Amino acid sequence: MSRCRRPPWIRVRPGQAVATAVLVGTAAAVLAGCTGGAGASNVSASNGQSFVAGSPGTTLYRTGAGPRVPAVAGPVVGGGRLSLAAYRGHVVVLNFWGSWCTPCREEAPSLAALARRLTPAGVRFLGIDIRDSPASAQAFTSDFRISYPSLDDPGDTIALNFRDTVPPAGIPTTLVISRSGRIAARVIGPVTYSGLKSLIHRVAAQPE
Amino acid sequence: MTETSEMTSTSQAGAAENGPPQPSGGGPGPGGPGTGRASPFGARGWLRWAWRQLTSMRTALILLFLLAVASVPGSLLPQQGINPAAVQQYYTSHPALAPWLGRLSLFNVFAAPWFAAIYLLLFLSLAGCVVPRTVRLARSARALPPAAPRQLARLPASARWQTDRDPAAALDAAAAVLRQRKFRLRTGDGWLSAEKGYRRELGNLLFHLALLALLGAVALGGLFGYKANRLLVSGTSFANTVTALDTFRPGRLVSASDLQPFSLTLNRFSASYVTSGGERGQPSAFNAYVSYSAQPGAPARRDVLRVNHPLNVDGARVYLIGHGYAPVFKVTDGTGKVVFNQPVPFISTGSSGLTSQGVIKVPDAHPDQLGFAGVFLPTAVDVGGTLESAFPAPLDPRVSLVSYRGNLGVDSGPPQSVYQLNTAHLTQLPIAPRPLAVGQSIKLPDGAGTLTFTGYRQWISLAITYDPGQLPALIAGVAALAGLLLSFFVRRRRVFVRAYPGPDGTTRVDLGGLARSDPAGGFNEEFAGLAAALRATHAGTPVAAGPRLTTTSQGSETDAH
Amino acid sequence: MPINQGLSHLSDHLLMVALLLYFLAVLAFAADFAFGRRGAGTDAVAEPAELVPAGVTAAAGLAGTGEAAGAGARPGAPGKPGILDRRAGPPAGPWVRAGLGLTGLGLALHIVGVCTRGLAVHRVPWGDMYEFVIAVSCVAVVFFVGLMIKYRPYYLGLFVMAPIVIIIGLAQTVIYTPAGPIAVALNSYWLAIHVTAITLASGTYVVGAALAVVFLFADRHGRRAAAGLPVRNGEVFRLLPSPERLDQLAYRTVVFAFPLWTFGIMAGAIWADQAWGRYWGWDPTETWAFITWVVYACFLHARVTAGWRGRRAAYIQLAGFGCLLFNLLGVSIFVTGLHSYAGLT
Repeated sequence: MSRCRRPPWIRVRPGQAVATAVLVGTAAAVLAGCTGGAGASNVSASNGQSFVAGSPGTTLYRTGAGPRVPAVAGPVVGGGRLSLAAYRGHVVVLNFWGSWCTPCREEAPSLAALARRLTPAGVRFLGIDIRDSPASAQAFTSDFRISYPSLDDPGDTIALNFRDTVPPAGIPTTLVISRSGRIAARVIGPVTYSGLKSLIHRVAAQPE
Repeated sequence: MTETSEMTSTSQAGAAENGPPQPSGGGPGPGGPGTGRASPFGARGWLRWAWRQLTSMRTALILLFLLAVASVPGSLLPQQGINPAAVQQYYTSHPALAPWLGRLSLFNVFAAPWFAAIYLLLFLSLAGCVVPRTVRLARSARALPPAAPRQLARLPASARWQTDRDPAAALDAAAAVLRQRKFRLRTGDGWLSAEKGYRRELGNLLFHLALLALLGAVALGGLFGYKANRLLVSGTSFANTVTALDTFRPGRLVSASDLQPFSLTLNRFSASYVTSGGERGQPSAFNAYVSYSAQPGAPARRDVLRVNHPLNVDGARVYLIGHGYAPVFKVTDGTGKVVFNQPVPFISTGSSGLTSQGVIKVPDAHPDQLGFAGVFLPTAVDVGGTLESAFPAPLDPRVSLVSYRGNLGVDSGPPQSVYQLNTAHLTQLPIAPRPLAVGQSIKLPDGAGTLTFTGYRQWISLAITYDPGQLPALIAGVAALAGLLLSFFVRRRRVFVRAYPGPDGTTRVDLGGLARSDPAGGFNEEFAGLAAALRATHAGTPVAAGPRLTTTSQGSETDAH
Repeated sequence: MPINQGLSHLSDHLLMVALLLYFLAVLAFAADFAFGRRGAGTDAVAEPAELVPAGVTAAAGLAGTGEAAGAGARPGAPGKPGILDRRAGPPAGPWVRAGLGLTGLGLALHIVGVCTRGLAVHRVPWGDMYEFVIAVSCVAVVFFVGLMIKYRPYYLGLFVMAPIVIIIGLAQTVIYTPAGPIAVALNSYWLAIHVTAITLASGTYVVGAALAVVFLFADRHGRRAAAGLPVRNGEVFRLLPSPERLDQLAYRTVVFAFPLWTFGIMAGAIWADQAWGRYWGWDPTETWAFITWVVYACFLHARVTAGWRGRRAAYIQLAGFGCLLFNLLGVSIFVTGLHSYAGLT
């Protein structure tokens, strides 16, 4: 044994650095992957629900920086056809709802009241009805005295169009669209009268 | 392990030196970090010791065994991710024990932190052992076999003969034969070494590395993949977007805009059942006729979805998981308006004949909200006063419902399950339950409304999954299997040849061989064949000086890892 | 396609007769221990380990005698015929020959019975628990007969065939299900791949476990004899292979079965992905297959570490076999999961 031999703990072992790097990377990835499932917007149906409710929250986009709203058009509940393009130049509130969805029913009176109050001021409201039949949808709108039209979207094609912009992450989801056709705000979860009112005023005050 | 022996030998050398003063007795005993030279254990020394312990094979074995033991409760107790209803049931039937089990994560074993700790430590130990060995293998990939020992007769397998060729020619001829048999050769003065079977270590390492890769593939799927479910009634369609899914379990790095944007329509579902024999009523085939388009605006394509035949759309896969019946109801409320007219999925109760139960909620009826709960019987028969379904096909479908009016509880508060009716604020209506055939109605008392059973449809339940780690996992699995086979069935063996010039011009040739690891046996046959071939090329004659061919089959099992 | 009842009944009858023949074979093996006369052959077994010169004889002959020096027998030493060797070894007495013949005949009928069941149901004949157990026992007997031919441990016959008789007997009585169409979820070509691999591996593990049990008894006998303690049934153990040889044979069965089991699990994962959308979901059967794999992997690792040969390794192997039994039978009976196609519930 040579006296010049370096002490064991200084001896460099070549594979070790590589090994440590591999392991730290794998461990981090695995930990992240395995404890995943707590993503931003999911709920498992373990309690028997059959829809996905997003985690509540309001997202505001910087003025003029929000994504452009995609083309939205389709049959209206109760008859006729409507396209969002018809509302260009107005502030639009787009609300995704279903008659079977409890939080949607909870926010419906607020939306109806706001619509009645703000439509004369130039704000337009449009609903998009998810997974409903015409009879239930009409019963809902007449029950809550909703005066604005709703598009019928049984095949989720309208929701799909939003995939690349601001996907409605569960319902209810409400989008506020500026006059120039950009999405300015998104609310996941039931809206309140005052909360939505202040959002609309904010978007309406934006210069464009 | 070789490192340990080197460590102790250097420590002995160190102790013999006059190095810097060390505390006598060093560190925590033999094998500990402090029994070396110079300054004793410090944090680094302890870490090094810990690392060495972790990567030792004994620790790996213990962790491996612990992993198996830890999986046992995950298979015996109901698990949250697989059967949440059974977990609830366990809580109700074991009220004292269940909370403690829950605290220990025994209802979610495979996602529990202690389970993760075990397999992470195991893979850490594995990687810490395998990666350096891989590096070493790569280095020694071109290493030559060792020099031939002097006394070849002492090897486990040996043979000897005489030949007329001179030593150099004899060795050359032997080298040619060995090279032809794919041995790696090394020549020396009057001797020849040959080794074969390097692939065994390669197979061994490939297997263990493939396990690491498998773990990486699982992590990949967990990060970027998702699983979703959707129940679809025939005649309706849905698109793969979060609002349209019943359940959605994304990986850590998956957001709603990462879902493949396909849409799918169920045109028709048909199930066929065994009609006679002991298996009567058992399903024999399911066919779901669907049309789908991979992107909005893409042309629609048709397909038949069956069990074991998923649909592959743009990387996502759609599986047919289950099916059932969705009777169609039309409800007219007290004011004469049609407030409900759609199919309602009923879920199988597990009883014979696909008896299904379900709930109808009519929240927008006037004057009061209405609710109904009951069963759907595809082939209703009266068995001793109770109604049962005798066969899963809809030969005589009946619906039997209980009616309620009041407050369904859906206007505020926490979201309700669509399959359960909260009767807390409902009053049951006093109607004699009468099974309805298609077309029949219940007229509710006090002008509450009317319900008509107008028909029935079928529904399918779909699982939509996307797992980018799937193909890597498959490749890792195949690599692991290949590595396993290589490491089991390839023998690492060495053969040596020595040629001595003998008296009267002849040359004595000695052949010796050993197998470092011979799990499947067979080295002796190979050696004998080799000896015969070499002797034949030398045209040699056997020498009577006690050739010996023995094998210690015990020793051949030892694989000096 | 409708079930062919005639073939189904034929299969049942053939399996009954095969069971009877196996039972008679077990009796014959037992009778040999009780009544067989030990001639001169049994003691002069250990031929000296020196051989004909290497260059002269054929490779096969060398290989045969090459093994003679294993297991600690010194050249020229008489006595313990614990050596498995093609040319040396206790010759088969008439009872043993009868037992072997009955086993062979029973195996032929067993195979035909399995095939006719497959023909009757128009698919691979391992679609429910009964068919699976019958198939596993068939594989076990085939593997055992192969062992017999290669290594000639005739006197193991009793200890391996007796459990198999019990297994088949239980299958015929307790878990018998008549031939029927397969469940929809199992109707895939993966049945032939995944379940076949698992069947082959399980049958081999059965033989390995039997060998491990015999090893434990032989080892205990050897230790007691070496320590001078009184032993019983010495003649029986003298006829069996040596403990080391038994240990080695048991190890080799695991070496053969383990890759098959690994492949079976992988094929099962691929099939699960095709059917249920995920390749691993910690279903009870999947979990126990994993546990069985891990325990046998521990066994293989433990063998490499010298101190873990012999009894400790045998215990691990038997623990693995226990996990295998629970995996194949216990889970279907006691736990419900996606794999509950036993036909029992």
